[in-house]
Amino acid sequence: MAYWEMIFFWVGLVIYSLACGGFVYSFVFKNPKVMPKMTALVAIGFVCVTAAIIARFQATGHLPWSGHYEYTLMGGWFIIGGTLFVGWQNKMLQGLAVGTLPLVVIMMGYGYMQNPGLTPMGASLKTVWLYIHVYFAWLSFGAYSLAMAAGVLFLLKSKPREVPNPAYDRFPSLGRLDELIFRYVVFGFITDTIMICAGAIWAKDLWGSYWAWDPVETWSLICWLVYGITIHLRVTFNWRERRLAWMAVAALSTVIISFFGVNLVVNTSLHVFQVR
Amino acid sequence: MFKKIIKLLSSLKFTIFLIAVLGVIFAIGLWIPQARLVKDIYLQWYRNSPQLVEWLDFFGLTTIYTGPITVTIWILFFINLALVLWQRIPVVKHRIALSDDKITDPEKSPGYPFKRTFLLPQGMDGAAVLTQLGKRRYRVLGGPSGFYAVQNRLAPVAFMLFHVSFYLVLLGGLFSVYTEFIAYLDIAQGESFHGEVSRYNVKPAIKMPAIGSAPEASFTVKSIVPEVSGNTATGVNVELVDADRQSHLVHINTPYVTGPTSFVFKHLGMAPHFVLKDPSGKEVENALVKLDVLRMVPDKFDLGGYNFTATFYPDFVMVDGKRASRSREFKNPMFFLVAEKNGQKVGEALVPKDGVFQFAGNRLEMPELRYWVRFYVITQRGLPILYLGFAIACVAVIWRMVFYKRELVGKVAETPEGRALVIAGRSEYYKSLAEDEFVKLFSKITGVKLESDNEN
Repeated sequence: MAYWEMIFFWVGLVIYSLACGGFVYSFVFKNPKVMPKMTALVAIGFVCVTAAIIARFQATGHLPWSGHYEYTLMGGWFIIGGTLFVGWQNKMLQGLAVGTLPLVVIMMGYGYMQNPGLTPMGASLKTVWLYIHVYFAWLSFGAYSLAMAAGVLFLLKSKPREVPNPAYDRFPSLGRLDELIFRYVVFGFITDTIMICAGAIWAKDLWGSYWAWDPVETWSLICWLVYGITIHLRVTFNWRERRLAWMAVAALSTVIISFFGVNLVVNTSLHVFQVR
Repeated sequence: MFKKIIKLLSSLKFTIFLIAVLGVIFAIGLWIPQARLVKDIYLQWYRNSPQLVEWLDFFGLTTIYTGPITVTIWILFFINLALVLWQRIPVVKHRIALSDDKITDPEKSPGYPFKRTFLLPQGMDGAAVLTQLGKRRYRVLGGPSGFYAVQNRLAPVAFMLFHVSFYLVLLGGLFSVYTEFIAYLDIAQGESFHGEVSRYNVKPAIKMPAIGSAPEASFTVKSIVPEVSGNTATGVNVELVDADRQSHLVHINTPYVTGPTSFVFKHLGMAPHFVLKDPSGKEVENALVKLDVLRMVPDKFDLGGYNFTATFYPDFVMVDGKRASRSREFKNPMFFLVAEKNGQKVGEALVPKDGVFQFAGNRLEMPELRYWVRFYVITQRGLPILYLGFAIACVAVIWRMVFYKRELVGKVAETPEGRALVIAGRSEYYKSLAEDEFVKLFSKITGVKLESDNEN
């Protein structure tokens, strides 16, 4: 890691962790007033992580697109960026951070434990297709994460309680949350489709075959099919509310497996998520 | 019976079932070693548990992606898709149709959840409202006394296009499979290739196309320049000159493409030119030897009746009396050669470029040190169809899911408070979010700040 990268990375991670605790506190202790302050804290953490990415870019000469550490760094940036963006557009959605922040904190911690060393860009990654493929991959991961967070909020808010929790009043109505879950899933599905198509075209140039049943490739297809089923269930079979929320939460596991899980159990993938 | 089968095959529940089964099959393929994809792991597994593997082989689970179960599911999937699409044609036609029947009273229109009435500002009449709707990409039927407006009317067509793109991908994929030629070609700097099938590597076996013949190609490898920074291979530049004396640069990610055939860079090796001379100085044999030594694993070759083992160090250094490489950069290339005759070692030496290895009275000279590359040669003739399918899928999914249909029915009525616009609206997929959108739309059109009913 570059010197400034390490400083900004840790400051950012600590701030995210503090904000994560703050969001959980606001839910558990029914104190919604801290939420805007926590959102501001997340924004500061986001600036720090952005600075860490810039510092790494300066040290390596390329954007952090390869290896588990870089994937989690950029992935966390996209997810928190998306969370802040929707929270800025609609203050009622600031609470989405309660779903996305823990995910990003765990991801960044996991990435750091892998290989955060500075490495030159591998030959296979020097192509414009990398940017298209990975950019859309992260957009889809970000959108699916937001769908999961909206699903978590929906499940929390829709749970019948004897004593109402004022923290939930700050969130959009259940009807809107339900539609937001679907909207994020749709956005994720679109970017996922583009990611898979771009990946196939890149694979043709790099490996000679547009589809080789590589484990990561295959799991991406499974992930795409799962979200395709989710969209069909919603549009055709009118799956809404709690069922859709559970679906959005559960379906994210396929994305996480695709990015981080496949290489843990299979070592035959051509996808270079690990810097060797 | 036939009707029942058709009903089952064309049901959307069956679609969901088939997609779910495909997902499960793909997941199984990740857990069970696949014979063609991870051959070494499969063979080792077979040696350890022959009965289990034979049992899985029998059900096609070790070739699951092309096995009979998967092929059957795919066939059912595409039949189901065709039937569903066929059934949807009249629905889509109906949805995109424009007719005056769609102009209804907004106060009594069922199926339009958004209903609002707002006073128009002074000087704004119904015609101005309709003009504003037109400017916002709404197609308007009727007039101020009763109108129907629709945005993204053709969005349902994108549903058809998206699913038709699956057939293009299928067609492109099938065409590619049946016209597919796959082989590997090892070629060193300075060597030429003219499409001879005999020049391709024997292992892995050449896959000849079911339709068509081996590809025609002709070129000479002019230069091979690897790039290594620290311990990371950062690139390789291979310059080819074709029969028309045109130069082509091949990199990782940039194959040499001639017609439907691609020569994809796969592997790099060292190609030393060895000259073996006997004790009298007479040349016994000379050869450009392609050695696969860049993974720091020794390779073997035979020359003049001797067996040689070669280990290569790209950046040679002695560390504590042991041979090593400082990095993977080609800063101080060095071979360590061991010569054997009839299984007996007859000599060993470190040999740099232009160096000489003397053993048993012989001289092995290395006047040149070149590189060789392994090309993965693949011909697939269905790619344009496949890529067209990808493009249509991407465009159609954006069109269908982002530019979805919004419909409005309305009228301008005179009320005691003044001229009022009565509106009913609906959108595909969304209710609450669409209501916000309609409120914003009419706030802009009328210039009056309106509030949404469902801020929470």
